[in-house]
Amino acid sequence: MSATNQQPVSFTQITDDILAPMWKPSRGYLLLLFAAFSLAVVGGLCWLHQINTGMGVAGIARPAGWGIYISTFVFWVGIAHSGTLISAILYLFHVPWRAAISRTAEAMTIFAVMTAGLFPLIHIGRPWLFYWLIPYPNQRHLWVNFRSPLIWDVFAIGTYFTISLIFWYVGMIPDLAAIRDRSTGRKRSIYGLFALGWRGSGNQWRHYKAAYLFFAALATPLVISVHSVVSWDFAVGIVPGWHSTIFAPYFVAGAIFSGLAMVCTLIIPLRRAFHLEKYITLNHFNQLSKLILFMSLIVSYAYVMEFFIAWYTGNPIERDSYYYRAFGDYQTLFWIMTVCNCFVPLVLFFRKMRHNLKVLFALSLLINVGMYLERFIIIPVSLTHGFIPNVWGLYTPSIYEIGILAGSFGFFFFLFLLFIKFLPVLPIFEIKEVFQSQPAKQFREATS
Amino acid sequence: MTDSLRRRDFLKLVGLAGVAGTVGCGEQPVRSLIPQMVPYEDIHPGVAAWYATTCRECPAGCGMTVRTREGRATKVEGNPQHPISRGGLCVRGQASLQGLYNPDRIQQPFRRDTGGAIQNISWEEAEEQLRERIGALQEAGEGDKIVFLTGRNGESFNQLADRWLGALGSDRHIVYEAFSQAPILEANEITFGTRAVPSYGIAEADYIVSFGADFLETWLSPVGFSRDFAQMHAYRDGRMGKLVQVEPRLSLTGANADEWVSIKPGTEMFLALGMAHRIVTGKLGVTLSSGEAQGLENLLAPYAPDSVAALTEVPGETIERMAREFAGASAGLALGGGVAATGENATATQVAINLLNYVTGRIGQTIRFDRPRYTEESAGLGSLAELVESMNQGNVKLLLVHQANPVYNLPPALGFADALQKVPFVVSFSSFADETTGLAHMAMPDLTPLEQWGDFRPAAGVHSLMQPTMNPVFDGRATGDVLLQVAKQLGGAVAEAFPWENFQEYLKERWKETYGESAGENFEQFWRDALQRGGVWDSSPSSSSAEAAAGAGSRLRLTSQALRFSFLPAGFAGQGEFFLHLYPSIHYYDGRGANRPWLQEIPDPITNIVWDSWVEVHPETAGRMGIVEGDLLRLESPAGSVEVPAYIYAGVRPDTVAIPLGQGHESYGRYATGLGVNPAVLLPAASDSHTETPAWSCTKVQISKTGRRSELVRTDGSVKELGRGISEIIPLSALTAGSQGEQHGEPAEQHAAQSMYPPHEHTDYRWGMAIDLSACTGCGACVAACYAENNIPVVGKQQIARGRHMAWIRIERYIENIAVNSSVAPDMRFSPMLCQQCDNAPCEPVCPVYATMHSSEGLNLQVYNRCVGTRYCSNNCPYKVRVFNWFEYEFPEPLHLQLNPDVVVRDKGVMEKCTFCVQRIREGKDHAKDEGRLVRDGEVTPACAQSCPTQAIMFGNLLDPESAVSRLSRRQHGYHALEELNTKPAITYLPRVKRI
Repeated sequence: MSATNQQPVSFTQITDDILAPMWKPSRGYLLLLFAAFSLAVVGGLCWLHQINTGMGVAGIARPAGWGIYISTFVFWVGIAHSGTLISAILYLFHVPWRAAISRTAEAMTIFAVMTAGLFPLIHIGRPWLFYWLIPYPNQRHLWVNFRSPLIWDVFAIGTYFTISLIFWYVGMIPDLAAIRDRSTGRKRSIYGLFALGWRGSGNQWRHYKAAYLFFAALATPLVISVHSVVSWDFAVGIVPGWHSTIFAPYFVAGAIFSGLAMVCTLIIPLRRAFHLEKYITLNHFNQLSKLILFMSLIVSYAYVMEFFIAWYTGNPIERDSYYYRAFGDYQTLFWIMTVCNCFVPLVLFFRKMRHNLKVLFALSLLINVGMYLERFIIIPVSLTHGFIPNVWGLYTPSIYEIGILAGSFGFFFFLFLLFIKFLPVLPIFEIKEVFQSQPAKQFREATS
Repeated sequence: MTDSLRRRDFLKLVGLAGVAGTVGCGEQPVRSLIPQMVPYEDIHPGVAAWYATTCRECPAGCGMTVRTREGRATKVEGNPQHPISRGGLCVRGQASLQGLYNPDRIQQPFRRDTGGAIQNISWEEAEEQLRERIGALQEAGEGDKIVFLTGRNGESFNQLADRWLGALGSDRHIVYEAFSQAPILEANEITFGTRAVPSYGIAEADYIVSFGADFLETWLSPVGFSRDFAQMHAYRDGRMGKLVQVEPRLSLTGANADEWVSIKPGTEMFLALGMAHRIVTGKLGVTLSSGEAQGLENLLAPYAPDSVAALTEVPGETIERMAREFAGASAGLALGGGVAATGENATATQVAINLLNYVTGRIGQTIRFDRPRYTEESAGLGSLAELVESMNQGNVKLLLVHQANPVYNLPPALGFADALQKVPFVVSFSSFADETTGLAHMAMPDLTPLEQWGDFRPAAGVHSLMQPTMNPVFDGRATGDVLLQVAKQLGGAVAEAFPWENFQEYLKERWKETYGESAGENFEQFWRDALQRGGVWDSSPSSSSAEAAAGAGSRLRLTSQALRFSFLPAGFAGQGEFFLHLYPSIHYYDGRGANRPWLQEIPDPITNIVWDSWVEVHPETAGRMGIVEGDLLRLESPAGSVEVPAYIYAGVRPDTVAIPLGQGHESYGRYATGLGVNPAVLLPAASDSHTETPAWSCTKVQISKTGRRSELVRTDGSVKELGRGISEIIPLSALTAGSQGEQHGEPAEQHAAQSMYPPHEHTDYRWGMAIDLSACTGCGACVAACYAENNIPVVGKQQIARGRHMAWIRIERYIENIAVNSSVAPDMRFSPMLCQQCDNAPCEPVCPVYATMHSSEGLNLQVYNRCVGTRYCSNNCPYKVRVFNWFEYEFPEPLHLQLNPDVVVRDKGVMEKCTFCVQRIREGKDHAKDEGRLVRDGEVTPACAQSCPTQAIMFGNLLDPESAVSRLSRRQHGYHALEELNTKPAITYLPRVKRI
């Protein structure tokens, strides 16, 4: 690795390296693509069965009206977070190591939001009427209830998806032009269409940079707002274990935490498979790790505060709910979550660990598991142990719910794999900038 | 052919019949279908017609009104005018509709060929076959080998059956009730020389000792007694009656008592004697004549409290205290009986109780023989044992079984089923394919009580009528009609003895004979009035007339027989470690309720178990044997064994195990068959030594773990209320001490400022409810009424196990403190939980599509059509009273005919909940509007409140300060469930007053 770093890299070389995955689909790739597609189909069939038979095929039941559908929804929304964080916020702060991972992170955001967006549809009892949640003038003389956090969700998710998509697309225009220039035939015209006539003139670059900055500024508040709104789904409810003012920052931190972990989960294999070590260096992971560690500490603090406040209120129902969370029927999940989210990330205090990709990959998986469990523990587990002891119950996901959960991963990875094949996984022009500009020196020094 | 009877056809037929009836050109049977509670002259589409009739789900004989819409019965309610039930109706009565529309009713006559296969036949063929059989027997001079086995029926049917048998040359009409009151009759004969079940002044009593009588569940007349008990047990003017329940297993009645004496099974008699002994020797009771006093002292000599304490395992001081309290009470009452206390000494126990009542002067005071509940005798085991004997000897050539299922509910040890197979021809008149019908050669399905004519005499001076409320659902025929028809076909003298066209005519004629005089010249008018009212009764049969009481009381003296009575202890068969305590389920009674899906679906009030049988084991026993709930236990007695899952219950003695009766049918339709166990198989052929009544408490059992499990499905998540302000109690002492007590919450107005939004404005109405937990016994009648009124689907055991029962109202049962051998009142709480119709409802703001919203009358409306099914409202409902349609639920034909046309059947994927019976509010408002006024207090009653036997639920307009609900809601100790959440519910709970 050090050998490659010492050699000067030509711009052509960069373009070739980054676009390499696009030209030759390997057997392994096709196999993965097929697997992801199959999984998505399985999920789709489960959903069809559920629509046909009724929500009863899922494990949800009173008292837990929401189960892993909503947990998964929150999980994917959380995953969607770091894309914009890395792209927009780090861009605004001119963080040099951002470029290498921004494209992947943004793509992840888009696909995660798409996956997340399915779940509100999946979980409602009459999904064929989903459009009743959208406020538009209609002849039914009906309107939506703007007091309901679910309507806020519609807006939050919708806005986030729109902005993320535009941001992602705008950032990709010069690269699409690069692909266009290297393609022939129909492919050339398709990429040409999306490249919007990019020629790379100085004027275009000037406008482009201004627009990109503008979108970055626009997207930044969304990082905070989206997950805050999602958290209000719960915080606005009066369910013990939900009804807490800490939820917005807590969920945002959790979302960034899980999103960063997911970035690691995706990039580490990607880097290896497509030999992108030159561009995604250990320094990137070092920086990512620090951010993950920081988020872990925030999340841990939030956990502690939840319990502290539950105790401090003196409200016996609140206390009982948190006691149940830690020592009740779902205590195993709680402690797995605590270990994954609060204790395991502490190894990142060691520089050696931050540079060990195997450790980091394993860690990122554990954090994903931990964060998924967090959502599970907050959502259905709180519901199972509400105000009325007489209706306490247990929630166990059914095979169909698991199928749909698996299907969501299939759907996500299917899209992601298509992305790898059809779009540049790194922002070519930004990498070139990095390699050319002043920060590039720091970049090389940091990674050598 | 009935398979093809579809709803449309059915309605057409019904409509046609209705029109024919009203136009007056119809056949005889429809002519008198006119009488109604509300005098509509015919069937108006969209308008309900009400018919008064009598409930026959148990021998209590409560008055019922049946709401019919477009010619089909959709709801039954208590008849407010009826002196027995006074407007209430129990869970079984509510479910009688599911007998009517049971999909497993026998739809037409059939006979079994030699191979046992069923061949459907027409009524003409069936009647011809019966006639042939009878004719052949008569020719052979074997008319006396015809036996008619019936359940307890009205006088008219009984008389017809007797007369019919008599005409054929037989007098063998055997009346059989599984839960017989024969010991009471016998004991009263022995003690007082009067063969009657007296009326019990529960309402007037201030101290009741019940020796095993579960009078809130199944004993004699549970609905009426519940009402009486609520009255007696209500706190007013600084006083509250006290109930001491003496039984080995805490029943629902016991759970409502102020004290539970967990007595050793079979020794109830000794406790009564011990108390009587203490009273007589201590001269605590009434002054007796010297002869009587001497006789009683001699008789009671062996039963000094100390020795009784040893026998009964009731502490001596408890006996002493009870004797003092009972004797000192101004209106004490000792009751006894109940299935669980019916052992080999059942009659002796009743005699002992009689003595206890006698020495304290309760005869004529709270126990009234001048108004006997009934006098005729139900067949004891004796005559059934004789019947078995006779069948075995071939002396029964033709057995007719009507409204009885002895193959199921007699202990198999008696050998009834085997003997039955030796009878050449058995005819079952059962409406259902029960176990006895399974062994019959021919079935001639009777109509259900809601489809036929009849009468019933539930108490002295109460003559209740039954009338068809709709045309028969299937091709059944009233047995009375069949008897008359067969008599006609037999011809000759027999035919002449029965000139009536049908049973209706016979019934009317008999009534004319009986009441012709009192009716005056216009019998038709009298008859019509009686039908509208539901029968004929004195205006106030339960009110005491001091004169009559004094007369009746002074006349009754102890017989010499009573003073010579020998009290033999009850025997228990087998060497098992545990007493077997069988008790009748409040849902299934003697097993006849088991095929009603509502009764299976609604949780048992004590255990909250659904669709199953269980054996109750004390925690100590369970701990010792390593038993946990759901472990399949094997119970063995000398007579047999059963395997049944364990339920750990602190309300049963450690040396006793208890199993409810009524489940374990081998054949009783899809809902009952193969569910649970019938513990009667454990019983030896033992009986009460005086009356030969089957003994239910007569064996000991050995328990072993099978190592297998059979999960019980319970609807309760936690048995403890955890002091959360859901089901509160208030100590009696706090009330009597005149202390203000803890103020529960503040008036709603003070909270108003805390809301971000302006309060809802209500102009004319704000519907509200007050639920008096002191009156609620936990019986579950409201739940059944709600199922019936609101088209709530039944989902079955598997779905309930997931938490998906659909009830809009549930009785939350919390077991706070129960202890065997404790003088502390058992603290088991029951509180009806339904939508609280909050003014500040957490469900409303979270719905994204306004499917749930606030009405101008304070209701939380749920708009099914608008609901997309996010279930957010359910999550956010702190009371968890919203239910979701997880599937498209089915109402198997013809159960769908019961659906209330005023209430929509919900689609899958939508949320639903209690509406305060908005359709009834609507109806009431429509009436009021027609008359240009507001709805009057009491004019609108939701189904739950209507059915409540104790009137624990009061409904009305909170904006009217004079309405009953407003007055109750203003009571000092009233509280709102989870008040601290500031949901401002429309339901105010009044805490249960507890004697602690």
